[in-house]
Amino acid sequence: MPDFSSQPFVEIAQRLEVQGAHSWLAILSSGGDPTAACDDLGTELESLLQMPVRVVSLKSSSFDRLREQLHQPEDDTVILFASADLEAGEWSSLDTMRSALERTGPIVLWIAPDAVAQLTQLAPNIRSFIGSSIFLAGPEPGIMSDKERENRLEELRQHYQLSDQEIVRRAKAKELPPEPHFVEWLVLLGRGDLV
Amino acid sequence: MTRDRALKRAADMDQRTHLEIGARPFPSPHKMFSAIRAYLLRRSEDINRKNNPIQLLKFIESNGVASIVLGPGIDKGPTPQHFHFDSGARLSFGLILRERDGGSQLVEFRYHYQLPDQLPASPSPGYFRFDLNKAPHTDPLSEPRCHLHPGLEDVRLPISLHDPFEILDRIFFVLEKSG
Repeated sequence: MPDFSSQPFVEIAQRLEVQGAHSWLAILSSGGDPTAACDDLGTELESLLQMPVRVVSLKSSSFDRLREQLHQPEDDTVILFASADLEAGEWSSLDTMRSALERTGPIVLWIAPDAVAQLTQLAPNIRSFIGSSIFLAGPEPGIMSDKERENRLEELRQHYQLSDQEIVRRAKAKELPPEPHFVEWLVLLGRGDLV
Repeated sequence: MTRDRALKRAADMDQRTHLEIGARPFPSPHKMFSAIRAYLLRRSEDINRKNNPIQLLKFIESNGVASIVLGPGIDKGPTPQHFHFDSGARLSFGLILRERDGGSQLVEFRYHYQLPDQLPASPSPGYFRFDLNKAPHTDPLSEPRCHLHPGLEDVRLPISLHDPFEILDRIFFVLEKSG
């Protein structure tokens, strides 16, 4: 399998936005919960493209059913979910119905990394729609790192001249001041239960 | 007696804010994070200063409480983590949401819009900060739950409850455009 670049969903959404209508793109994702990951991708696409997003499964979907799903409506974003157990015949059928897959809204094909070979061999026309727009699902860049978390905690400790232990003690005693910063402090300490 | 009445009116105002928070559900914290980032990406396209909201905006959660932050918690001068405007102003903010019924509810926020450095005799207020406190203060007259600091730490003017985007709207389309 060739090396594909890893991109977070937000940057994939930006690429899709630049590509505009009728665009195709494929995301390779392995591990984790694919349903949750598809939801995360859908959230990013909706936020950035400002249009509805649907997830459509390719498994056991008939030609007529798939065509109907992609064209009613045909201007939203569709994530075509190809499960890891998609069989050779299903890939070939998908390729046969390539004309029916053409639509105004963008399509994101969600596949496992080891399915790229099947895509290339059994669905060459779909593969040509996608072109070079194949990306590995990358980590979310917005998740606060441990270093960033520690830097924020230190900023709060210095500003208020209070320790983490004192903040937890006051939260338990319901003695924290009401102004912003102290709830964030608890979240940074992993003590959202005290909010 | 007059101050007592004023305190009562201020407490009533805080109570209205409390009820309004409960009546304004928001999408899940993750969806809010994504939508705020998309908002900032759009605004970044409209200005010349280079900002990268994908790197600037951060998310952390614990036990169903999420924190969405940009820039330092306390503004002590410009940093690469601020969102910078063409005027020379800068923005930092922090927002706390609690997961609720598949969506979320506002807990508190702090949006600090720091105006560009001015000469000492300048009439500029220096900064505006929009705060929503987690809970009412014992003196709601001096510290309403939802308030604006007009460049003075000890002055808190009550404001109506704004959602996270409505505050950004005021900063990007009103304060920044008037600079």
